[in-house]
Amino acid sequence: MPSFASHAVDVIDLVKSYDGRKNAVDGISFHVEKGEIYGFLGKNGAGKSTTIKVLTTLIPPTSGKAIIDGLDVVRNAIQIRRRIGVVQQEESFDFATVDRNFDIYAMLWEVPADVAARRKEELIELFNLGEVRKRRAFELSGGQKKRLQVAREFIHDMKVLFLDEPTVGMDPVMRRSVLKFVKQKATDEGISIMFTTQILEEADLICDRIAIIDNGKIVAEGTSSELKQKFGTMRKLTIGLSEIPDRKFIEEFPAVIRNVGDISHYSITGKEVLILGQNLGRKVKSIIDQISEMDVDIEHINLDTPTLDDVFLEVVGQ
Amino acid sequence: MRLPAFVRLTVRNILVNTDPGTMFFMLGLPAFYLLVLGIMFQGIITSVNIGGLSISYTTFLAPGIVGMQAFTAGSIGGGMLWADRRWGMFEQLLVGPFRRTDYLLGIVFLSVIFAVGGSLIMIGLAALIKGATFSMGVISYLYMITALVAGTIFFSSMFLVISIKAKSMQAYNTITILLFFFLDFASTAFYPITKLTPLPLRIISSLNPLSYVANIVRDSMVYGISYTTSIDMLIVVAIMLILFAISLKLYSNVRTGV
Repeated sequence: MPSFASHAVDVIDLVKSYDGRKNAVDGISFHVEKGEIYGFLGKNGAGKSTTIKVLTTLIPPTSGKAIIDGLDVVRNAIQIRRRIGVVQQEESFDFATVDRNFDIYAMLWEVPADVAARRKEELIELFNLGEVRKRRAFELSGGQKKRLQVAREFIHDMKVLFLDEPTVGMDPVMRRSVLKFVKQKATDEGISIMFTTQILEEADLICDRIAIIDNGKIVAEGTSSELKQKFGTMRKLTIGLSEIPDRKFIEEFPAVIRNVGDISHYSITGKEVLILGQNLGRKVKSIIDQISEMDVDIEHINLDTPTLDDVFLEVVGQ
Repeated sequence: MRLPAFVRLTVRNILVNTDPGTMFFMLGLPAFYLLVLGIMFQGIITSVNIGGLSISYTTFLAPGIVGMQAFTAGSIGGGMLWADRRWGMFEQLLVGPFRRTDYLLGIVFLSVIFAVGGSLIMIGLAALIKGATFSMGVISYLYMITALVAGTIFFSSMFLVISIKAKSMQAYNTITILLFFFLDFASTAFYPITKLTPLPLRIISSLNPLSYVANIVRDSMVYGISYTTSIDMLIVVAIMLILFAISLKLYSNVRTGV
């Protein structure tokens, strides 16, 4: 069995309750290898951010153990803080210009002046902040603030980086560029990264392994392809209707789902019905027949293998 | 050279607060009181007579303005916690290489540096005013600096408590504006308290901590240190210790990450 020191992050039976009644994090265990990017997926309120806050020593765990780079989050908080970088989900910046935000952060982290100056220029260019560098942070748009927040974190060295939904508010081009940069950092500098997101495509793109958390519990874990394979018998059925269904259809459709059975998720959006479930291929005919009996014309049907999004929906449900 | 964590946080606090708006609030407003209001009022208040000593209004006002620096700097320092919580930096700093104590010390040191620096600038400005005369020795300086430091820590603690307790930006702003008007103008910073002062205002002024700081600074700069100066100093230090302890208790319970 590997020792704690051989992993970047070790979490064992971690529980966090804010009110003593409901557990926001409910006995989770996982580890992050050194140099690995570990994705943490979950809906709002699933327990992702609470886990990150415990691991970054911001709040104490209720029970269980969390070890970062061989150090216990309760007993060695200050030593851990010197080794980690954190991009929190909530915005954070100093009441100063973009330039000064970088300078202040570098000073706080004791980055040598020449190194800080070089990194600042690289980061400002990479994160496309050149045009706003003389503007005060609170004057920036939401996306620009987020870019500043993420870029600023890379001004200092770290062993483990926690990114809590770092791309929120960024446009797709910037998002991809930031993810590429993060991946490169992990590869080139061996930084271990714990990355939470709700955008599954992001996790698919950069994460070595992924955990799905729901109601404070880890409900699935593995590489992206392992997860897709694990849920290999799952299929996604998309049914295109000729017109937007009426109220009667929407009210009666849950009965169709109940009749078919073993459906993990369904939704009706506009003229499209999406159904996720195991062995759907065998159930297509029954579903189509029942919809036809409801006097609704079907324009097309499509049966797919699951994407990571589908795996997520299957695991987390509605 | 490695700087201790609280020194780095103090430097950060100074850098964040040396913007034109804060500087105007810190220096411009008191300079305006001193140079415009002081000189204007001197035209109609020919002298202020306390304890048999007659002095010009600007000589009376200048120490009050110096004392006010403790209040202004304390509000900037204590208000940092509110701003840092508002802009997400409180939590960000607490996941950085700092302890909670470092953060608190950063606020205290910022306040004291701003108070002492601002006071020296105000003394310099006061010295330029015709008719304002001051006489200070080593003991007077020690009294003045001690009163300013204790007063600043008192007011930073007060604003820390408000930062912790205020639930919204509107509440925080309303409370601070009310306090500014109340503490600045119902104190001995601008006017002497005499037998002619209505009793309610005399009581309010005697309960106002800024009055004690202003009185000590005025004794240091104008009247000379006396027994009552030492009593005022004891009161300022005592209330500072009490409020600092309260703010420390509340601060240690400020929740993060919720």
